[in-house]
Amino acid sequence: MPPVKWLMHWHPSPGATLNSQILTEACSCAEALGGTKDGRWKTSIFFYRPITRDGSAGQLSPDVPRELLGVALHERPGLYFSIVRAQHIVLQADAAFPQVMEKLQSYRARVSLNFEGIQYQMGDFCLRIGKCVPNNSETLRGILMEFDSMFNIFSANNRKVEYYPLSSIEKSRAIMEDFFEVWQETVAKKSLPGRFIHVETNFSEYHLSDQYSFQHTALQYAACLQPLMAAVSARG
Amino acid sequence: MECVVQGIIETKHVEALEVLLQGLSGVPKEHVRVHELCLKSGPNLGVVPSEVRLLCDLTQPTPSWTIRHVGGAMRGAGAEQISVLVRTIVESKASKNVLHYFYTIGYKLDHELLKVGFAFRFHRGAQITVTVTSANKMQRLHATDDVVAVANGIQLVEITAPAAADNYNDVVSAVTAFCEYLAPLLHLSKPGHSTGTVATAAAAAASLMSSGGGKTV
Repeated sequence: MPPVKWLMHWHPSPGATLNSQILTEACSCAEALGGTKDGRWKTSIFFYRPITRDGSAGQLSPDVPRELLGVALHERPGLYFSIVRAQHIVLQADAAFPQVMEKLQSYRARVSLNFEGIQYQMGDFCLRIGKCVPNNSETLRGILMEFDSMFNIFSANNRKVEYYPLSSIEKSRAIMEDFFEVWQETVAKKSLPGRFIHVETNFSEYHLSDQYSFQHTALQYAACLQPLMAAVSARG
Repeated sequence: MECVVQGIIETKHVEALEVLLQGLSGVPKEHVRVHELCLKSGPNLGVVPSEVRLLCDLTQPTPSWTIRHVGGAMRGAGAEQISVLVRTIVESKASKNVLHYFYTIGYKLDHELLKVGFAFRFHRGAQITVTVTSANKMQRLHATDDVVAVANGIQLVEITAPAAADNYNDVVSAVTAFCEYLAPLLHLSKPGHSTGTVATAAAAAASLMSSGGGKTV
């Protein structure tokens, strides 16, 4: 069972531009907090569109979704997620799922966004900071970070007996908020033109429980698309 | 890709087939209870009409789902000459909402079956799987506990083996060789080319049952 994860995206201040300097500063914040580099990470989102026999989407039944999202998470490369946002469905499949879609020829992945960067270990927390770029260009579309935590359970005589991931979203909320607050204070000292915002996802709409799963992570990535796209449009 | 042959056998000879397969494979049989749903793409969706199968394994305490796409058969003069069908197969495990997912993205239920029987999985020149199942229709939608046999007294035998572009000739040879052991009980041929039951089945079955299983082969 994966630990609860929080995903944040960088929200530039009005009039400010997004640039890779923000990424560099965020990484220096991770190091200032005692984070040690622990490799790189990459998560990808693929945008599928329906294909019609005559090439016109207008000929499709109105019930057919105009977009599917495919999500490949760095932490579980054997899995693949397909999300129908309009109908609130998240399907968990394995890495062969894109091949099934390719064979069916009813939806085609046209573009993708990559989220990639550096992973830091910071005590019980694992923090990942990265940029969002389209697969076919180097244009910076956003900056994201995610963190999750392992949690120590101590026995009566204060000896550590278990080390297990925080898996309840509600039970982990306080510890996640505390960490995020420390993070925000550290970033604030840099006086950067913007701030990180936690992506709140309504998991119950997708019939997911309080027990955190990889499907929750896939949905958080899908949920951050809207603010990222909005930030891109605002910048013109 | 996979190599595949199919045949049919009368239910009364299935026990003898099981004895023979047990003797040949030396592995315990596995129970098979699969709810198979065949879905087709809705009007105008896709470059060409498409078909996908969702298989729900009901032998597990928690049913598990697999998405299966069966591709076209390999063509060409070479493919015509061999008695085994070579085709592409893509499979992916999926979460239990997979049927709802495919309905949502524009697929419709074409038909559903409950396949009940057994399978043997073993290595004999290739990784061979033999499944012997009876196909059942549901009386009501998705009601796997309320079924009737599609063909009374007949069961389907399917032999499959995974293959790749660089080894399918070897796999075809292994499957062909294995089919010969089963020839007294049933004819195996490419799917869609059924040659019916065999006349020698009754005598072969009687012989197998009296010999105590597979030792004569």
